[in-house]
Amino acid sequence: MHFLLRVGILLLVCAGGVGCSGQEDARFVDWNKRAPVALPRQEPAITYAYLPQYTHAVSFERHRRILEYLRQATGLPFRQVFPATFAEHMAMVERGDIDISFTNPFVYVLLHHRAGAQVFARAVEEEGGADFQGQVIVRADNAAITSLEDCRGKTWIAVEPTSAGGYLFPLALFHEHGITLDQFARVEFARGVGGKQEQVVLAVLSGAYDIGSIRKGTLDIVARRYDTSAIRVLAETPPYPGWLFCARKDLSPEVTQQVAQALTALRRPKDESILAPAGLTAIIPASHADYRPIEKLMHTLGMETVP
Amino acid sequence: MKRLFSRLSFETKLNLGITTIIATMALTLLPLVVSITKDALLEEHRKRGADIAASLAVRAVDPLLALDFLRLRELVAEPRDVTYIFIQDRAGRILAHSFGPDFPVDLATANHADPQNPMRIQLIDNGMERIDDIATLIRVHDEPIGTVRLGLSRRAASEILDHLVATLMIIFLTGLTLASAAGTLFARTITSRLDRLQSRAGALRQRHLPETSPTLPDPPHQGDEISALEHAFSAMARELDHRMGELLQAQRRLEEQTRLLSTVLDANPDRICLRDTRMIYHAANEAFCQAVGVSKEDIPGRTDFDLFAEDEAERRHLEGRDVLASGQRMERQEQETTAQGSRWFHVIQIPVRGARGRILGLLRMERDITAMKDYERQLIQSQKIESLGKLAGGVAHEINTPLGIILGTTQLLLDDVPADSSMAEDLRTIERHTKACRKIVADLLEFSHASTSEKVEMCFNNSVMEAVSLVRHTFSLDQVTIATDLDDSFPIIYGDPEELKQVWINLLTNARDALPQGGIIAVRTTLLRAESCVRLEVADTGIGIDAASISKVFDPFFTTKPVGQGTGLGLSVSYSIIEKHKGQIQVHSPVPETFPWPVPVDGPHCGPGTLFTVTIPLDHASLEDHHGPHSRPR
Repeated sequence: MHFLLRVGILLLVCAGGVGCSGQEDARFVDWNKRAPVALPRQEPAITYAYLPQYTHAVSFERHRRILEYLRQATGLPFRQVFPATFAEHMAMVERGDIDISFTNPFVYVLLHHRAGAQVFARAVEEEGGADFQGQVIVRADNAAITSLEDCRGKTWIAVEPTSAGGYLFPLALFHEHGITLDQFARVEFARGVGGKQEQVVLAVLSGAYDIGSIRKGTLDIVARRYDTSAIRVLAETPPYPGWLFCARKDLSPEVTQQVAQALTALRRPKDESILAPAGLTAIIPASHADYRPIEKLMHTLGMETVP
Repeated sequence: MKRLFSRLSFETKLNLGITTIIATMALTLLPLVVSITKDALLEEHRKRGADIAASLAVRAVDPLLALDFLRLRELVAEPRDVTYIFIQDRAGRILAHSFGPDFPVDLATANHADPQNPMRIQLIDNGMERIDDIATLIRVHDEPIGTVRLGLSRRAASEILDHLVATLMIIFLTGLTLASAAGTLFARTITSRLDRLQSRAGALRQRHLPETSPTLPDPPHQGDEISALEHAFSAMARELDHRMGELLQAQRRLEEQTRLLSTVLDANPDRICLRDTRMIYHAANEAFCQAVGVSKEDIPGRTDFDLFAEDEAERRHLEGRDVLASGQRMERQEQETTAQGSRWFHVIQIPVRGARGRILGLLRMERDITAMKDYERQLIQSQKIESLGKLAGGVAHEINTPLGIILGTTQLLLDDVPADSSMAEDLRTIERHTKACRKIVADLLEFSHASTSEKVEMCFNNSVMEAVSLVRHTFSLDQVTIATDLDDSFPIIYGDPEELKQVWINLLTNARDALPQGGIIAVRTTLLRAESCVRLEVADTGIGIDAASISKVFDPFFTTKPVGQGTGLGLSVSYSIIEKHKGQIQVHSPVPETFPWPVPVDGPHCGPGTLFTVTIPLDHASLEDHHGPHSRPR
């Protein structure tokens, strides 16, 4: 009887102990001490933008170290900005919101003709060097498409109307093979903000479209997140001068000069940590003359450089 | 306390027990359940907040990089069930928040996530409620670009917890109520049964054990229904034990008496049987069973028609019915004739009555009185012989004198006439026949005890052998052989040698007369030490005595011999002599198969034979009590 009583009391004590345990320390915050919050003022800085062919996060990650390098090398304040679309990018350059653009040759030619942007350096990429190519991709198991000619009557998804590797180079390639836009069942462009190269790959992978056009190298980038073994490269475009760094029309030439010097001073392997995230092996000086082939190609495709 | 508890009713105890168990469970388990549930709820609460914060951190990357304040504002305004959300840039500046126009200034620095601790939870107390503040870094790859801060009030969790505790309390209270009700019902069911059991035990005790044994006082009882029931059963058990002991003793006594009665009944030579009112047999003793040829175990259930021939069964059945109908004792003598002979029985039939005088059955006893009947007939015969002897003695005495005169005169006349004359011849004829008449008269006198005898100590065997020697030669001429088998112990008896010799010669002569073609006469003497007597057996292989004659052989003047060859007084005289010696003489014909012949008796001339047995006591005691089944003393 006494034993049972003791056990019962012990159980009650234990249960009470368990029930009362776990008191946490709380930090007091005076809820009545309030103030309006003003949006942070943007400090004056040289704005830098990566043509939004990827998501903002990817764009940020690829060029974050280049910006840090430029800050250190030039002593100038730099800030990366993230336009949502190619059009917004071009509009921001035209408005003067973007001082330095890392952009594709088509956008550059358009910016050059519309807003007076001027190329000062050219990217040397891991694949293709200073030039770059576009690719036409299909699903690996799509037996109906084995050549460019098979693409007639098919649905095509491209990155953007102004995407070099992602649309214009492949368009020129089809043009050379006598395939015009009206011969496709449907031509559509990736929707949304950024990440459009990936969206094209995913659209073809999912079977939503028969063919897709991307910039060469995209498959390696997206291979980190998606299984690209199900993708077959149907054709590659000839190489064209690749991506470039350009300054808006009114940017101080001294600043442009400083930036050009700093960028072209990057060398591998000492600057591997800066160049590699951006997919670059080097940055070389460039001038507008280097991009005449692009202008020619645009003319061939009937694209107007000035609206 | 313990005493008070023990006095409570069982129903109250049961209710108290159930209530205590459930209350203890509630008190023990409720804090545990609440604590565990609270921890689980808080963990889930934090996890949910962390998931929302992580999701917001991912979704805030692009707007944050693009400094798209509108989208950031949309992000912080999106979740509905959080207390607050705000997004800070890398420098900790508020880019968007859900507080409305004013932001709690101190909240911005109240929690801080860093690359080593990318998600940190801090409990914040704002004086009104407690809030879990979750700070999650907004990162691009590993590069932090800002922080999402999310506040989840614990009020909702507390409300859920309070609701849960209330629900648990209600469940426990409901359970307690239901269990108490069920316990009450259960207890009532049990206690009502216990009460019934107790009352039945009491009633049983009252009915069957109306008086409590004085040696077994009831101990006082205190407690609940079970205690009362236990007490009642203990008392009943004690009483039963006591009564059972008495019962066992009574049973043992009864068994002993039954065994004794059975022994007595079985030892009784009378045939005893017990039938019920339907005339069905219930029991019988050994003598009855032997008579009907059925074992004792098979008797119960039988009827007269199962045990006797139809006529006999009918007679017995009707007799029994008459006795049962009249209720009067019936007593009579009846003769039973079987293949073995005729026997007399004294039959008594008594109605067996119960305690209230009602007739329960019928007892029948049959006593064999054949011997008594024989004695009765023998007594009559003895009286007759005695009267006849007296008459013969008187007549003989009267005749003896004239015969003496005739004999004396005849002998005087013989002296007067020439010996070779015809007169002398006639006179010798008169003399011879007169002597014969005197012999007859002398026998008559002997028969009537008129003659005196003189008893002396004598050797029984010598007496027998003298008689045998006397006749052996003569008998051998008639092809009759006498074989003797005499006891070597030379028994001495107290008797009259001459008279006994006359008996032996008479028995031997009768045997020789039964052997017209010759044969064997066996003479056997035996000393019967246990009976203190000596026995002579004379057996022959002769023609035997038929059943009609055997009962008359000792009658005076009874003879089967032709006229002139016997007087019919020999065996009567022998009987008288033996009787005078306090002995017995018996006759059996044919000779029993068990008789040990001294010599082989197989042969074509052998008849059924006759055995005479004479038994004479060594002292002067009478052998009247020693008699066989075929004794025919005359």
